[in-house]
Amino acid sequence: MFTKKQRRINWILVAVLLVLSIFFLFPVIWMLANSFKPDAAITSDMNTIAAFIPPAPGNGFFDNYISIITDTNFLRYMGNTLFYAAVLIILSIVVNGLAGYALAKIKFPFRDQWLMVIIMLLIVPTETVITIHFLIIAKAGLLNTIVGYILPLIVNPFNIFLFRQVFVSLPDDVYEAAQLDFCGPVKYFFTMVLPMSKTVVATVSVFTFLNVWNDYLWPSLVFTSSDLLTAQIGLNSITSNENTTMGQTLAVITLVTIPVIIIYSLFSKQIVEGVTSTGSKEG
Amino acid sequence: MSFIEFKNVCKMYPGSKVNTVDNFNLNIEEKEFIAFVGPSGCGKSTTLRMMAGFEEITGGELYIDGKKVNDVAPRDRGIAMVFQNYALYPHMTVEKNIGYGLKNMKMPAEEIKKKVDWAIHILGLEEYRYRKPKNLSGGQRQRVALGRAIVKNQKLFLMDEPLSNLDAKLRVSMRTEISKLHRELGATTVYVTHDQVEAMTMADRIVIMKDGIVQQVGKPMELYDHPVNQFVAGFIGSPQMNFFDVDVNGNNVRFADGSNITLSAATAEKLKGHQGMMTLGIRGEDIKVIGPDRKADADTENVLTAVITDTEVMGNENNLYFSFGGCQAVARVSKYEIAQIGDRISFTFVPSKLHFFDKDTGINFMEME
Ligand SMILES: Nc1ncnc2c1ncn2[C@@H]1O[C@H](COP(=O)(O)OP(=O)(O)OP(=O)(O)O)[C@@H](O)[C@H]1O
Ligand SMILES: [Mg+2]
Repeated sequence: MFTKKQRRINWILVAVLLVLSIFFLFPVIWMLANSFKPDAAITSDMNTIAAFIPPAPGNGFFDNYISIITDTNFLRYMGNTLFYAAVLIILSIVVNGLAGYALAKIKFPFRDQWLMVIIMLLIVPTETVITIHFLIIAKAGLLNTIVGYILPLIVNPFNIFLFRQVFVSLPDDVYEAAQLDFCGPVKYFFTMVLPMSKTVVATVSVFTFLNVWNDYLWPSLVFTSSDLLTAQIGLNSITSNENTTMGQTLAVITLVTIPVIIIYSLFSKQIVEGVTSTGSKEG
Repeated sequence: MSFIEFKNVCKMYPGSKVNTVDNFNLNIEEKEFIAFVGPSGCGKSTTLRMMAGFEEITGGELYIDGKKVNDVAPRDRGIAMVFQNYALYPHMTVEKNIGYGLKNMKMPAEEIKKKVDWAIHILGLEEYRYRKPKNLSGGQRQRVALGRAIVKNQKLFLMDEPLSNLDAKLRVSMRTEISKLHRELGATTVYVTHDQVEAMTMADRIVIMKDGIVQQVGKPMELYDHPVNQFVAGFIGSPQMNFFDVDVNGNNVRFADGSNITLSAATAEKLKGHQGMMTLGIRGEDIKVIGPDRKADADTENVLTAVITDTEVMGNENNLYFSFGGCQAVARVSKYEIAQIGDRISFTFVPSKLHFFDKDTGINFMEME
């Protein structure tokens, strides 16, 4: 229930946000509209309102997309990236989840100091350790392999911390009850802890996906074979190619954006909850 | 050998210098309903959790069904437990919650269904079968927790304050329900509560604890009528037993305000070796109020008087509070004996119901051999 005054403030807020979001949406709309046009049309529409209006569907409507799909490996790169993301989501949940569970619920020496170390790691930017990762992977002979790409990305202090914060508030007596119901610790983790913490699992999954999807530096260091490349690298090589038209560039950027938009619209609620909640209202 | 035997069981938590549970000795027979009672922090839950295997036993031995279980994992002890906060699996329906243990025992699906149906039926949970715990009331959740315990056919039930989160009325009805289940299933039950009424009404025997030490073990009425010390006497019974500081000299008892009563020969005989200052205890219902203005006809010698300071009308009976011999006291009288605040009453103590406690140790001299 809102008072009259609150309701008026709400309306003002909505109006401001609407204007702001239009500003943010303009480039996206422009990109989408022009990705269906040949370059000549893009140039001629420039500086007119037509720049934001897609052409009438008809002959050649999908030409830019078709040429991207048929002339380049871009779909394959997208497939690669989706595959890496899927593998990393599963590994992230298992590895960081187990670590977070240990830090939350299992008693061992120096547990709290360990947690402090992990929290301190949060402030280390990935770029500073990437050389070391690269050297290790190179020494291990894992350059240009999927394993070499995935290995350093599995452990993530932020995810460990997120899991730990949620697991710490899980009630102990549920674990005790489960023990008396013949449920061992491993089964407990996968069939009880994770389902009881759906929100944080969703959050970590989304973050992991976005990290993998948007990362450029690490895959460009590890991968040289074009079979294994990721979408971001593909995007870069396509757009920096002299023969690529403006319309094709916009089409490939649109393709790269689609999964991100899908993921955000599906999980935005969970992401906000996962980052803000303590997990205590799981019931 | 009894079904469960505690032999000098001790618990010292890491970082603590004293035993939280000290030299716990107890034998529990098969099918018995035992209640652990005592004030908060006395070690009831700790003892129960040692039985379940959730807390390490740091001294002594515990036997369940003839087998030493000190180092046996909880799941292998043959126990089922009902937790204070229900500890239901939040993401499973009522039906799944109850059947989860059976599923892990690799029981065939149709057998699980039969057992779950049975539990759901006797607990009256039919309507809620497909609900998740968060959509149930406290009483319904506790019934699901009971269901989860009873389907597994374990021989020993452990319950840690299972009713303490329920409102008064529901507590009474769940009390009856648990007693009924116990009669029907015949599983040995150890029930922790800090509510002496629960213990008195449900248990075959009660174990009273204080500061980790067992004070007395016995049938409810044994504890009520023959408490071995002042702590037990004060803990069991509501309203609490009245205590007065007295000076005993032969068969004469002198109260702090100078009034006297004369002891019966039998009582005086028992107190022979114990004279001087001690604590007299008597239950409210053993104080006979003679009347607001009437002088007693019989036994005039032991009639005492006091002024009522407060009354508590319960409906079926009344509590009259008065101050006597420097102490607050309460008499329980029938509903026909209403008195007003400020009335002067005369009363006597039922001679055979007097208890005398040592001032320092609290030992009940009347119960000493
Ligand atoms: N894990 C622990 N570590 C150290 N001390 C503990 C631990 N658990 C309980 N204690 C202490 O042991 C004592 C007994 O606790 P316990 O939980 O057995 O009491 P209780 O009789 O069940 O009380 P209540 O009626 O409040 O539940 C308390 O003083 C408590 O502080
Ligand atoms: Mg307790």
